[in-house]
Amino acid sequence: MDQNELFDHLKKAMVALEPEVLVSETAKSLEAGIAPLEIIEKGLLPGLNTIGELFENEEIFLPELMKSAQIFQGAMKLLQPKIKEQGVAAEKKGTVVIGTVKGDLHYIGKNIVKLLMETSGFEVYDLGVDVDPFAFIVKADEVKADVIALSALLTTTLVGQKDVIEALEGQGRRDQFKVIVGGGAVTKSWADEIGADGYAENGYGAVGLVKSFVG
Amino acid sequence: MLDLIDVFERADTGLLMSDIDYYMKRFVPKLSEIVDRYRIKWDRQTIVNSDDDLADRVFQAGVDLIVEAGAYCPDTNRVMEFSREEILRAAEQAPKAARFGEGREAKTMYGRNVDEDSVPWIHVGGGIYTTKEQIYLDTVEGLASIGIVDSLSVPSILHLRGKDARVRSPQELLAAIKTVILAREGIRRSGRAGLPIINGISAASNSVSMIAAASPQFGLRPSDGFLIDFLSEMMVNYEALQKVAYFNSISANIGSTSTPMYGGYAGGAEGVAILATSYLIMGNLIYRGNYHYNAPLHQNLRISSTKPLLWAIGMSNQANARHMRRPVVNLPYLAGGAGTKMYHYEMAAYMLSVVPAGGHIFSGHPAKSVEPDSLLPKDHQFHAELGLAAARYSRKEANPLAGKFFAKYENIIKNPTKGFRYDQVYDLESKKIINDEYLRIQDEVRAEFKEMGLEVLPS
Repeated sequence: MDQNELFDHLKKAMVALEPEVLVSETAKSLEAGIAPLEIIEKGLLPGLNTIGELFENEEIFLPELMKSAQIFQGAMKLLQPKIKEQGVAAEKKGTVVIGTVKGDLHYIGKNIVKLLMETSGFEVYDLGVDVDPFAFIVKADEVKADVIALSALLTTTLVGQKDVIEALEGQGRRDQFKVIVGGGAVTKSWADEIGADGYAENGYGAVGLVKSFVG
Repeated sequence: MLDLIDVFERADTGLLMSDIDYYMKRFVPKLSEIVDRYRIKWDRQTIVNSDDDLADRVFQAGVDLIVEAGAYCPDTNRVMEFSREEILRAAEQAPKAARFGEGREAKTMYGRNVDEDSVPWIHVGGGIYTTKEQIYLDTVEGLASIGIVDSLSVPSILHLRGKDARVRSPQELLAAIKTVILAREGIRRSGRAGLPIINGISAASNSVSMIAAASPQFGLRPSDGFLIDFLSEMMVNYEALQKVAYFNSISANIGSTSTPMYGGYAGGAEGVAILATSYLIMGNLIYRGNYHYNAPLHQNLRISSTKPLLWAIGMSNQANARHMRRPVVNLPYLAGGAGTKMYHYEMAAYMLSVVPAGGHIFSGHPAKSVEPDSLLPKDHQFHAELGLAAARYSRKEANPLAGKFFAKYENIIKNPTKGFRYDQVYDLESKKIINDEYLRIQDEVRAEFKEMGLEVLPS
């Protein structure tokens, strides 16, 4: 079997959401001497991209998206030791710290954005809901994030997004991170008013924004 | 039926697990199994179901989902589990009527059956953000002045001294009180002081603000209605249970409220139909709601007028009507802006989906509910009349008609028409409509609807 066929099998197993098949195809690809990073770039990520498109077209939904992230991690368990062994580092696409701002307890929208970012190859750190503004900054420092993504559903919690930007400005580090905002109550004019670097109406838009910043 | 203390204890003593495990190991796989078990399938064409057997299976699936997944309390990280017997008893004993209002405005909202030609309850308004006190008062007065209306959802106003209140702040508590006082005053000005407000309390995001603003000296009464929602899919937090404890203690009307997300943990149309039905049962089992706000929503578009959602919303109404007959109002979150043709087309498709399915009338929330000052009383009068027109149809008759209206906005659903704001339509002094374009659109729409087969008679 040539390499392209193997990549095709990996992609198909990913899209079919078959964890056992994906692990076995990953093992086969390694046995065939394909570099682990190539397996990721040419087999797994194209599969994840297709899943993202299916999600956008409402052919699959959040449960399938969650499953795809899980089975991707299953394949990565096989690949990571090899990557370490070979001493090569995966090319980092970008790191995002995400959370729902203080006072807001909603998380489905934020979870979708997180999954779409993960399945687009970004490293994502999810701080959950009702997150203190300074916690975003502490985490972003710790993981050397490129982007801080802030979700807010309610009109009364929008101000939590402004707080994070204000806290960064207060520390004189506003330029260190790109800050993007989204969620039910958020509008473009609000994003502009608080000086966010970007606003997205949905998860796909958020991924596009992150790509534009770190791509 | 389980008493409330027993219900609360389930949140303290159930199985301990993380929220993500709850969704990944219980909710998502169980729902998927249940969809298959009951062969729940949307054919991607039908908007208004008329297959009773399918509606019955959706009800059974809704029961199974509660039995097998339970609810989740994020404050204790525990699963609130209920036996099939407890769930079925709550469904059997669900209130079939709710009494609202005072004096000559007092009236009973009854649960409706499918294909019932009785006059539905007419509820108008919405908790949409308002920028100025005058617009707030005028909007509420205008809505309450619609003669055929039985109850109101009043908008929210969060401004205090020129600034918006922050969530959980003392200012938010004061804004919630202000909302109540202004709403009651707006209703009084209409000459219908006893008219009930059943979206108590739009400006209160937490239990402290809500309970404070519900105090009788600000104008709300147990004969109004107080909303208690599920935080996220099957999630019941302490704040909700605090409200349950309080509003049951004062014997107030409770509107259990649910917003299952299309594209979220429930997946597509089938999962949303089942989950919305589970919420209708849990609304009595956990919250003791004597009416229900049913508000399934599209996760990305933030509207409820897509084709699969119209089917799913109608289906949950049918499952309720055939097995519990709780009084249900359904929240139409529409994409089109206030006063636009698109907004009215969406409303027509929505009314045809829910009213013959056993739901009551609720006028449309325009512009995805994000445009401030977008409640225009004349729109809501038209929607009330539209709901009455929809009540003349059976589900079978409503389906092709709903399809015609859906086709009118299908292609612009992602780029909806922008609408009018209150001060663009109404003169703030005389309170009269001064926008000819607005009036022309509504006249044209009424004529067009008649041609399409849905005659909307002026009230």
